Amino acid sequence: MRELIAFFAAYQDHIGAWLPEMLAAVLGTLKLTALSFMLALAIGLALAIMRLSRFGSLKAAAGLYIETIRGTPPLVILAILYFGLPSLNVSWLVLSSFTAAVLGLGLHGGAFTAEIFRAGIQALHKGQREAALATGMTPGQAMRWILLPQAVLIVVPPLGNFLIGLLKDTAICSIIAAPDLMLRAKDLSSTYFMPMHLYVLAAALYLVMSYPLSVLVRRLERKLSRGRA
Amino acid sequence: VPSFLHNLAVHGPDFFAILLGAAMNTVIVTAGGLLAALVLGLVVALPLLSKRRWIRGIARTYVEIFRGTPVLTQLFILYFGLPELGIELTPVSAAVLGFGLNGAAYLAEVYRAGILAINKGQMEAALSVGMRPTEGMRYIVLPQAVRIVVPPLTNYAVSLLKDSAIVSAIAVPEIMFRARQLVTETYLSLEIYVVAAALYLLMSLPLIRLARRFEGARQAWQ
Repeated sequence: MRELIAFFAAYQDHIGAWLPEMLAAVLGTLKLTALSFMLALAIGLALAIMRLSRFGSLKAAAGLYIETIRGTPPLVILAILYFGLPSLNVSWLVLSSFTAAVLGLGLHGGAFTAEIFRAGIQALHKGQREAALATGMTPGQAMRWILLPQAVLIVVPPLGNFLIGLLKDTAICSIIAAPDLMLRAKDLSSTYFMPMHLYVLAAALYLVMSYPLSVLVRRLERKLSRGRA
Repeated sequence: VPSFLHNLAVHGPDFFAILLGAAMNTVIVTAGGLLAALVLGLVVALPLLSKRRWIRGIARTYVEIFRGTPVLTQLFILYFGLPELGIELTPVSAAVLGFGLNGAAYLAEVYRAGILAINKGQMEAALSVGMRPTEGMRYIVLPQAVRIVVPPLTNYAVSLLKDSAIVSAIAVPEIMFRARQLVTETYLSLEIYVVAAALYLLMSLPLIRLARRFEGARQAWQ
């Protein structure tokens, strides 16, 4: 107990120096998360549409992409982009660690959001659209008022869970030295020699970011499933 | 690009052989972490189902903390943080412990869902046709629970295998760690990481197939 008190008391001396730096790094983590989330959404949507298309080659290409990426660790993708590409000696393929991180997490995440979108689109019964058209709606109105609202309900909770996972996955970008929370914690702990304090602080900050999100997603899940049952 | 393909053809097999040797540690960390998570997950799942609120609260807090923070942070706390308190772990034991503690939070939810999904009436029906409680458990309840729990467990094993790449950051000499060493020796970074990716694919694809088959079997059964 005494050690525990002493452990947390030590924060008093340093928190003034650490917190501003760590909060600045939180911003980096949030930026990384937001950008790679948007990229993953765009890639996932494109892949889902390809997968549902009538053209066999598009379908196969999307399937191959999803299969390959799902079996590869994100860290390996980051390493290929950040350490690997420069060896091709093409100047525009030399990426900053931040760009490589966004690109890598986006490319990896796209394979997962693709499956979410596909499930959302396929869950809609064809009869929904036919019924909307039969009541006199135009195809655009049917999409806007009947199909999209239902698809969104199905897709939003799993996308929320994906976002939470992505937020935590950004931590591995510190391994390629992208400016995020973990990198700052690592830097500070090599200056102050207090790794336990700094990594616990980092964990607390991650929790502060992810917990409200997961409460929100769970509430959404409950609310939406009530409407469907 | 031509020189990349040339290097890949010339050195690829050597790189593959070297990384394959390091894959042993990837397997050890994955299997060890999975085993630890399976056991610890049960330890967390039981209090999650408790009738007492405060016991549930403790288990729930554990789950929220370990699911709400990155595994990498947890591994760093165990490997770089604990020595500050005088506790030193080897890289492999920190990795297995970290994945075990982290996985327990995920698997506890899986177990809980599996147990809750079996209707109480199943056991009552088994008893009413003359089975003993152990028979009811063995022939009626467990087979159903296993069907529910196995697909998410397999999915978890796949993601653990992929996550194991990050333990290179706490100096476990696995695939990615060896890959980085090879890069500093040969400077053929793209070739080496592409071979590493292929090796991970080779390991994870059979697991992904298996997960999909279980998933299909469950849907057919339902």
